[in-house]
Amino acid sequence: MAAAAYDAIIVGGGHNGLVCAAYLARAGRKVLVLERRERIGGAALTEEVFPGFKFSVFSYVVSLLRPEIIRDLELPRHGLHILPLESTLTPLPNDYLIQWNDHDQNRRELARHSLRDAEAYDEFGLMLHQMARAVKPLLAMAPPDPTSLAFGELLGMKRLAEHFRALGAKRFNQLTKLLTMSSAEFLDEWFETEALKATKSASGIIGTLLGPRSPGTAYVLLHHYMGELDGVFRAWGFAKGGNGSVSAAIGAAAQAAGAEIRCNASVQKVLVSYGKARGVVLENGEEIRAKLVVSSADPRRTFLGLVDEKHLPGPFLESIRRFRFRGSSAKVNLALGELPDFTCLPGRGPHLRGAVSISPSVAYLERAYDQAKYGEPSSEPYMDIVIPSLLDPEMAPPGKHVMSIFVQYAPYHVNGGWTDARREALGDAVVNTLSQYAPNLKGAILHRQVVTPADIERIVGLTEGNIFQGELSLQQMFFLRPVPSWAKYRTPVSGLWQCGAGTHPGGGVMGASGRNAALQILGAA
Amino acid sequence: MNRAIVIGGGADALVAAQVLARSGREVMMIESDTGLLDEGWVPPKVLRELKIEGLELRWPEPWASVPLAAGGRLELSRDMARSVESIRRLSERDAERWPQFCERMARLARFMEKIYSAAPPNPLDIGFAMQARRLGRRGLTDLLRILPMPVAELLDDWFESDALKGALGAAGVLHLLQGPRSSGTGLRLLHYHVGCPPGVFRAPRSNILEILRRMPRVELENTEVQRIAVRGGEVAGVVLEDGRELEASVVVSSAGPRRSLLELIEPGWLDPELARALRHVRRRGVAARLRLQLDRSPGFAALALAPSLDYLERAYDDAKHGRVSRAPYVEAHCDERHRVEALVQYVPFGVESSQLQEKTIALISEHWGDAQPQHAELAAPRELEQFEGWPEGQPHQAELALDQALWMRPHPELAQYRTPIRGLWLCGPAMHPGAGVAGASGLHCAHAILGR
Amino acid sequence: MLKTTPFHERTAALCASHAWRRWAGYVVASSYELSHEREYHAIRGAAALFDISPLCKYRVRGKDAARFLDLVVTRKISGLQVGQVAYTPWCDAAGKVLDDGTVARLGEDEFRVTAAEPNLRWFEDNAAALDVQIEDISESLAALALQGPLSRAILAEADLQYFRIKESSLGGIPVQVSRTGYTGDLGYEVWGPAEHALAVWDALIEAGTPYGIVPAGMLALDVARIEAGLMLIDVDYVPARKALIDSQTSSPFELDLAWAVDLRKERFVGREALAAEAANGPQWRFVGIEIDWPSLEGLYAEAGLATRLPGSAWRTSVPIYAGSEQAGYATSGGWSPLLKKYLALAHLRAQWAEPGTALDIEITVEHRRKRAVCRVVKKPFFDPERKRK
Repeated sequence: MAAAAYDAIIVGGGHNGLVCAAYLARAGRKVLVLERRERIGGAALTEEVFPGFKFSVFSYVVSLLRPEIIRDLELPRHGLHILPLESTLTPLPNDYLIQWNDHDQNRRELARHSLRDAEAYDEFGLMLHQMARAVKPLLAMAPPDPTSLAFGELLGMKRLAEHFRALGAKRFNQLTKLLTMSSAEFLDEWFETEALKATKSASGIIGTLLGPRSPGTAYVLLHHYMGELDGVFRAWGFAKGGNGSVSAAIGAAAQAAGAEIRCNASVQKVLVSYGKARGVVLENGEEIRAKLVVSSADPRRTFLGLVDEKHLPGPFLESIRRFRFRGSSAKVNLALGELPDFTCLPGRGPHLRGAVSISPSVAYLERAYDQAKYGEPSSEPYMDIVIPSLLDPEMAPPGKHVMSIFVQYAPYHVNGGWTDARREALGDAVVNTLSQYAPNLKGAILHRQVVTPADIERIVGLTEGNIFQGELSLQQMFFLRPVPSWAKYRTPVSGLWQCGAGTHPGGGVMGASGRNAALQILGAA
Repeated sequence: MNRAIVIGGGADALVAAQVLARSGREVMMIESDTGLLDEGWVPPKVLRELKIEGLELRWPEPWASVPLAAGGRLELSRDMARSVESIRRLSERDAERWPQFCERMARLARFMEKIYSAAPPNPLDIGFAMQARRLGRRGLTDLLRILPMPVAELLDDWFESDALKGALGAAGVLHLLQGPRSSGTGLRLLHYHVGCPPGVFRAPRSNILEILRRMPRVELENTEVQRIAVRGGEVAGVVLEDGRELEASVVVSSAGPRRSLLELIEPGWLDPELARALRHVRRRGVAARLRLQLDRSPGFAALALAPSLDYLERAYDDAKHGRVSRAPYVEAHCDERHRVEALVQYVPFGVESSQLQEKTIALISEHWGDAQPQHAELAAPRELEQFEGWPEGQPHQAELALDQALWMRPHPELAQYRTPIRGLWLCGPAMHPGAGVAGASGLHCAHAILGR
Repeated sequence: MLKTTPFHERTAALCASHAWRRWAGYVVASSYELSHEREYHAIRGAAALFDISPLCKYRVRGKDAARFLDLVVTRKISGLQVGQVAYTPWCDAAGKVLDDGTVARLGEDEFRVTAAEPNLRWFEDNAAALDVQIEDISESLAALALQGPLSRAILAEADLQYFRIKESSLGGIPVQVSRTGYTGDLGYEVWGPAEHALAVWDALIEAGTPYGIVPAGMLALDVARIEAGLMLIDVDYVPARKALIDSQTSSPFELDLAWAVDLRKERFVGREALAAEAANGPQWRFVGIEIDWPSLEGLYAEAGLATRLPGSAWRTSVPIYAGSEQAGYATSGGWSPLLKKYLALAHLRAQWAEPGTALDIEITVEHRRKRAVCRVVKKPFFDPERKRK
C-alpha cells in the first residue's frame, strides 16, 4: 500500500472545510483541501454574474462567523473586512417599521408603533443576550452522547448539566422555553406590533420548512442572534467584496499555515479498507492517500455518496436517510440601474444601507409557509434584502447597484420539480411582490439571476438545497446532529470525520463545525 | 386552623382531597359540577394509594374507524392481528411495520408512565438521566427525537398509508392549535398512548370519577369560589359566592393556574413577571363538541374523519388564520345507547360557527347508514367556556404543547404544584402530567403538600 | 434622528456652545455658553432655567389609582394629600430598583408620575385587574425647572410649600407649578402643554430677567445634583431591568433610600425581599465622599504639578480602598465651586459606610494611578435652609 501523502484530506473547500484545514495546518498537519468546483468557497462565494456586477451568489451576510475563528486565523490580516449593516426596514402597505442599531433612534421608531414594544425591546435584547451567553459555550463544544454509558460521555453530560445549573433557575427556564417554543408565540410574549414580531420571527424560519408558529423556531431565532453577541466585534454585517472574500480570507489563512488547496478536484469515493479511511479517489481516477479524511459535505452526500454503504452500520444508515434537508429558500440577485424607491419611505435614505425585510405580519409568513407545505413556492414570499453596492461601491459599476434577495419559501420538493419555467415564475413572484413596495423596481432591473434550491444543490452540492446542510430543527440539533451518538464529528468509519454544517452547531457561515471538528481531530491524535 | 380546602370537582381535585383527608386533615371541597373530564389513564400509584378497586378503563373497539375514499374503513383495534389485517388492505409494507411501530411506541409509553407517576422531573437531575438511560440506547434515541418532532415526520418515517397516518396524527393535535407538521406534536402521540395497550393511541374513559365521588371523608359544598383570601403572603381561606369566608391553612385549586392566581387572588401578591408569564400560558380552545342521539346503532364505536395528514394540516391552516376549518377533523364516539359525542376540530374561540352543527352532522351521517338523529346540540369553544367553565373553551386549562409540558407545565416556576402564595397549591389538567391522565396531578400535589 | 423638546426653538437659538447631549432620546444643551460656570452659579446665586421635558411622564387615573401606586412604588402614596408630591423609587420582585421619580397627587383619583425610563409596560402590567388608566404624556407635557434662591420671586409663589404642586398660569397658559427639583436648592418645576411651551418659556425669561435668570444646561445641573447628594440613573445605579448580572442591581437600602421604603404596606412589588433585607441590613450603602485636599495636593506635588481639578463633574467608576481591600467605588464626582471641596458619590460595603470613615480613592496623576485620602461624609453636601423653608 502506498504511504499516506497527507495527514488529512478535507473534502470540500467551503468555509467549514477551509476553517478545519486552517486549524489542522496550524497544528502542523500536512493538509490537502479538495474542491470540486473551479474555486473555493462553497456557498460563500462572490461571482461577477453580469459584467461589472458582483454578487454573493448564495450566502450574503456575515452574521455568525465565530469571533474566535476571526481571531485565531487572523482573518482581517488575510483580507476580511466586515461592513456594518445598521438597520432593518420592514415596508408595510401604508407605513414602515425600521429597527435601528442606534438605541435612541430605534426606541423612537418603535414608540411610533407601540410604546409598550419600545419599552420591551431593551429587555428582550437583554434576555436574548443572556440566552446567547448561555448557549455560546455549547457552540464550541463537541456534544456529549446522552445515550452512552462511556465514562467520557457521562462526564460530558455531567458538565453540561452543571453548565445549565449554573445559569440559575430563571435563565434555565427561559432557555428551555426558547428551545421548545415557536418564534411567533415567543415573540407574542414580548411585543404587540405585528411587523416587529414578523420581522423578528422570520429569523426563526430561515433554512427550515417550518412556519413561525411551529415550535422549535424560537431557538433558530436565537441561533441567528448569536452573531450579535460580541458587541465589540460586531461580526454582524456584510463582507467587503462579498462573501467570497470570507472564503478567500479563510483559504489564505489555511494556505499561510501550510495547507494545500486543489480546485477542480472532485472526490468520487472515500477509500476505505479494513474499516478505516485511507484516502480518496477523484473522479478522474487519481488516488490520494491520507491518514485522515474529513468531509465537509453534508451527511447525505458523505455517507450515501462518498462512502460505500457496506462500511456503515444499518441503524446509522437508517438515521442518515431520515436526516431531513428540505431546502426551503432561494436567492434572487438583481443588477439595478437605480436604487429602489420605497413608497412608504421615498428617496435614498439611510434605510437603504441596512437590510430590508418583507415580513409585514406573522400571518403573511404563515401564508407563505402554507403554500410551501403543499409543494408550491410562496406567491408572496418572505424576503431578506440587502443592497451591497451601497456599503461596498466596488460591487457594481459606478452609479449602478446590486441587490441580494433571500427568498423563502421556495421548497426543494416543488410539485412537478424545478423547471426553467418554475424558476422564472419564482423570480417574477419576487419582483412583483417587491414592486408592491418599491414600484420603480421593475424598470430598474438590468439583469436577474434566480437561484432555486435545485440550483443550490446542483451548483454547490448542498443536498436538497438546504443552506444549513440539514434542517435546523429540534430533533436535528446538538447531540442529535446529524445522528445520535455520532454528533462528535467522528463517523463509524475510523479515520473519516465530518466537519460540515450538517454537524453541531449548524449553518450560517459560522465556521464552528469546521473548528470543532479540527479540535476534536487534534485532540484524538 | 388545619383545614384544607380543595377547589374543583375533577379527578385530580378528588384525589388530592382524599389523600389529604387520609393524612388526618379536615378537608372541604368546593366544587361546581360542570366541566369535568372523565378521560384518561389512571396511574396504578393513584389506585394503590387510595385502595381503589373496580376501576374500568374503556376504549371504543375498534378505537378508530377511518372511512376510506375508495370505500370501506381502516379499523384500528386493540387486537394487533385485526389491525394488521385492516392495514394490509391499504399497504402491505405498513401492515408489516405496524407491530414493530407499536412495540417501539409502547416502550416509550412505559417510560412516560413512570415520568407521569411522579412530580415533574428535573431535567438536570442525575436520577432522571439514569432513569432515561434504562430505555436503552435505541429507546433513548427514539425518545429524544420523537418528543420534539412533528408527529407527521414520525409517521412519514414509518408509514405510507394516508388514512393510517391521519388517524394516528390526530392524536398529535387533539385540543391543540397546531397541525401535525408542527414540532412537538410527537410528544402528544406518546401522551395519548400512556396507559394504553400497544396499538391504541387514545386516552381511555373510565369510572374513576364515580369511584372517587363515593368515597367518604370529605365534606362537599356545591358552590363557586369568589376569591382566595391571602394575608401577609399566606393563604387564609376562601370567600364563597354568597360572601361566606371559610378559613383554611391550605388551599388546593384545580381551577387552572391563570384563574387561580390572576383572578381568584387580589392583585399585588404575585411577582409581576410571573403574572405576566401566567397571562401568556396558552389555553386556546380549538374543538367544538357535538352531542346527538341516534335511533339506532350507527355502525361505529369511534369514527375518525382524518383521511390524511394533509387533511389535518389544512384543517389547521384555517384555524391558524382565524377561521373554522372548512374540512374539520371529526372524531365521533358512540355508546351502547346510541349517544354520539363528537369532537370537531378546528373551531377557534369566538369565531362564528353557526353552520357547523349541520355541517358536522352531514359529515358524520355519511357513515351511519340508516340511523336518524333525534336530538343534536353543538357547543363551540365559546359555549364550552360558558357552560362547562373551560376558559376559552380549552378543557386542558393549559395547552399541552412542548413548552407547557413536563417541568414546564404550565410554567416552570409553578410546575411543582406550589405557588408563591404560601399554602396555595395547584392541581388539575393544567398541571403535570396533565389532561388525559386522571388523578395524577392531584396525587403529586397532595404529596408535595404533605412533604412526601 | 433624535427628538427635540418643545423648547428647542428657544434653546437652539441660545446654545452658543453648540454642545448638545442625549437625554432619553432627545437632544438637550450641555451648556449654553462656552463654559457652564455661570450657569452653575446662577443655580446657587440667582435662578437657572432648565429644560427637563425629556423626563418620562405618566398620568394615572381611576378609582384604584392610589391603590395601584401603593402596589408599584415603595412609598405609601394613598396617604398623600391632593397637591402633595412624593419622591420614590420602585422595584422589581427581587427588591431591586427599577427607576425613581416623583408622584404628584393632582386629584383624589388622579396622579402624575415622572420617571427616567419608559415604564408604561411595567405600570400597565401591574395594573391588570385594577380600575386604573395609565397614559404616557411624556410628549404632550413640556417641563421646565426653575432653580435657585431667586426662583420664588420670579414665580411669585410665596406660599407653595416644599413638595407641593398647584395650578397656576404663565404667559396666559395654564400650567402646574411644583416645588421640586434636582439641584437641592430652592426651586420649582413648571408643567405645561407642549403646544404652548414657547409662551411659557418666554414668560419665565421675561419675569426672570430682572432677577438675572440664566438658561442652564446639563453640565451645571450635574454639579448641583452631586452637591445635593442626588443619584442619577445609569450613572450612580443600574436599573434592575438593564442589569446583566445580579451584582449590578441595587436595592433602595443600598441606595440610601430606606426612608422611602414603607414596609408597613401589606404588599407592594419587592416587599418580601425588602423586608428580609431590612431585617439583615443592606450589604452596600450609597454615601458622600470628600477628598482630602492636602492629600490630593501632595500627589500632584510629587509629580511636580499644581493640583489639577476636573473641569466638570465626572461619571466614571473609581475604586475606593480601605487599606489593601476595595471598599467600594465612586460613580460620580467633581469639584464644588461653592463649597470649595472635591466631592464624590460612592457605593461602599456597609462596614466602611459610617460617616467619618477614612478611606483611599484612586486618582490618576500624570498617567499614574495614585491614592488620595478621602472621608465618608453625610449627604447632602449642600443643604440650604431655603430649600424647604
